[in-house]
Amino acid sequence: MDFSVISDNFSYFMLGAWPNGPLGGAALTLLLSLLSGIISALLGLVLGIALVMIRGKMRWLLLGVLGFLRAIPVVMLIFWSYFLLPILFKVDVPALATVVCALSLIGGAYLAHSVYAGISSLPAGQWAAGTALGLGKWQVLRLIILPQALPMMLPSFLNQWISLIKDTSLAYVIGVGELSFVATQISNRVMVHPTEIFLFVALVYFVFCSSLDLIANRWVRKPAQTR
Amino acid sequence: MKKFTALTALTLAVLSGLAHADRLDDIKKSGVLRVASFDSNPPFGFVDAKSKQIEGLDVDYAKAIADKLGVKLQLQPTNPANRVPLLVANKVDLVLANFTITPERAEQVNFSIPYFASGQQFIVKKGTLTSPDELNKWRVGVDKGTVNEGVLREKFPGAKVVAYDDTPFAFTALRNGNVQAITQDGPKLIGLLANVPDKDKYEVPPFTISNDLIGVGIPKGEARLTEVVNQTLTDLEAQGKAQGIYDAWFGPTTKTPLTRLYKIGDKS
Amino acid sequence: MFGELLAPQYLHWLLDGFVLTLILSLLTCLVATGLGFLLCLARLSPLRVWSWPARAYLALFRNTPLLVQLFFWYFGVTAMLPEGLVMWLNQPRSLSLGLFEIEWPSFEFLAGFWGLMLYTAAFICEEFRAGVSSVRVEQRAAGLALGLRPAQVWRYIVFPQALRTALGPLLGQYMNALKNSSLTMAIGLAELSYASRQVETETFKTFQAFGFATLLYVASIALIEVLGQLIARSKWYRQGVV
Repeated sequence: MDFSVISDNFSYFMLGAWPNGPLGGAALTLLLSLLSGIISALLGLVLGIALVMIRGKMRWLLLGVLGFLRAIPVVMLIFWSYFLLPILFKVDVPALATVVCALSLIGGAYLAHSVYAGISSLPAGQWAAGTALGLGKWQVLRLIILPQALPMMLPSFLNQWISLIKDTSLAYVIGVGELSFVATQISNRVMVHPTEIFLFVALVYFVFCSSLDLIANRWVRKPAQTR
Repeated sequence: MKKFTALTALTLAVLSGLAHADRLDDIKKSGVLRVASFDSNPPFGFVDAKSKQIEGLDVDYAKAIADKLGVKLQLQPTNPANRVPLLVANKVDLVLANFTITPERAEQVNFSIPYFASGQQFIVKKGTLTSPDELNKWRVGVDKGTVNEGVLREKFPGAKVVAYDDTPFAFTALRNGNVQAITQDGPKLIGLLANVPDKDKYEVPPFTISNDLIGVGIPKGEARLTEVVNQTLTDLEAQGKAQGIYDAWFGPTTKTPLTRLYKIGDKS
Repeated sequence: MFGELLAPQYLHWLLDGFVLTLILSLLTCLVATGLGFLLCLARLSPLRVWSWPARAYLALFRNTPLLVQLFFWYFGVTAMLPEGLVMWLNQPRSLSLGLFEIEWPSFEFLAGFWGLMLYTAAFICEEFRAGVSSVRVEQRAAGLALGLRPAQVWRYIVFPQALRTALGPLLGQYMNALKNSSLTMAIGLAELSYASRQVETETFKTFQAFGFATLLYVASIALIEVLGQLIARSKWYRQGVV
């Protein structure tokens, strides 16, 4: 094993061609996952609340869309949005935005169900009590339900973020220069050290994801102890 | 009436996609020429270890075209399989990525006049291939979305084809022993081998199974852009600059010395 | 690019890819469930010799992308295996089992299966663990108090309830395995996503090729979903008999 290939290319692994070119590497991985993490959290919250509040045909439609997003492989969704949206609807989405969009949609679809589960896990008496106090449906949600449900959901938000960090690696299929992509570029150039390179890349992802995992675990334990 | 014409225009634009667009004007207006090129295939297009930028023969041609248009060059790394989709989906203006001209592709995209010629060859571990017929029993690595794959299937129907995203992946599989040969355009293979530390263990057997001409890929129907690209290529040859680009990557003093057999404008 | 359907030959490619996707996912789920169960036992063991390696395994495999893991197994580890072994693994051969003849799978299949299986097992283990922790500790104490041996407590009290709780999430992991199998195309395994790309390059019918593949994925996931609903409604599940 010869790890000099890592130290020789360290800044390319971490930052891509930046500052003489676009940002890439591990920094881009973090940026992509952060952006799609935030958007999918918002999307998940809105759609999850919609699942609670909406009734009838619209709800079935929403369930159908969410089901579709959860059923399609991430690679396929990235292909669809990058190559087929421009042809079908003449909308041109740049590569980075495509990845953020695709990941946010998928993350949002998963989180919507977590949010829905979190809200439904509260006893029905909470709703009844709120209504008895003369509050409207949305007021109950905002003042009584969400403040209790949101802290319970935090771990699933963080877990979703961990999967998003891993899923950014799939951006390689459309040539986005995140960590996995620059790693294959380097591996393709030096040719003889794939083992070292992929071990190192795995380590970087591991550091990112397990630190988030640690935080998530702290969060799970803390409310349990204080309650 | 006014409404009606606007609607018709919109419908036409949506239906044909070509009605409004002249890519040449768009490029000049935005001041940027978006070109897809390889990032892992020296000496055509690869990320230089020092500059961290994509460089190579294809990139030099792309620079020349951008200079001619007086716009900035923006490179988009691509693998072989993404080249046609990138053009069709309007993600790039041109593809310069060792792009073989074929009648099937020409139905999807425009091609410039050829600027390079090559033939499909193989890399094998030294001494393993005694006759080309043996390939019929071998596992052979190719790149997804290349002409090479089809040619291989046709010429050696018995070969077990394994397709990878890019040539270096296929080569790693060869080195690991997962395939016994890989096939690609000869100059690309020679460029690849030149950068391998233990190149003595491999060889490119001296037979060619196809003759390919390489051109610039241009979005379908962009006649004016095609014209400009063709003119640029012809001028580069006339001014001797094409020879200069060739010598920079395949000249006698390079890692991959190769005699120049094809000049821009030659009849194939 | 629309309108025209794919020629039968290309539909054949896609269906071949789909069959491979199904075989790969099915095998992965079967073996990963077993491994995940063993991992879960090790993880819950009071002995550190068992629980710490299991913890390390879970952390490593859950916190790195599958794509990188697949690259590592196929391109990285193979480079370090002895040449003879790789040649042996790559040799085509077949095994006769009476009427059936099983062909030795390609090396890409072995590597893809290996990578996907190890990854999936880590997630399945966590679902089992969540299932077990949903059974209150008092129940175990009660079982012991009734004079059951610890193994019997697990067999008759903890696992039946844990499995019930874990069933939904477990099916979710099976769906993930099916979707994740699409990544094996990066190591040259000719499964459904790979086939759709091949068809796309041959015919340039991007929409049909990807559309058909997407349809097959969504349909198979829907099938698993329906299966889950059927199990949840079955007598077997409602009565809690395992």
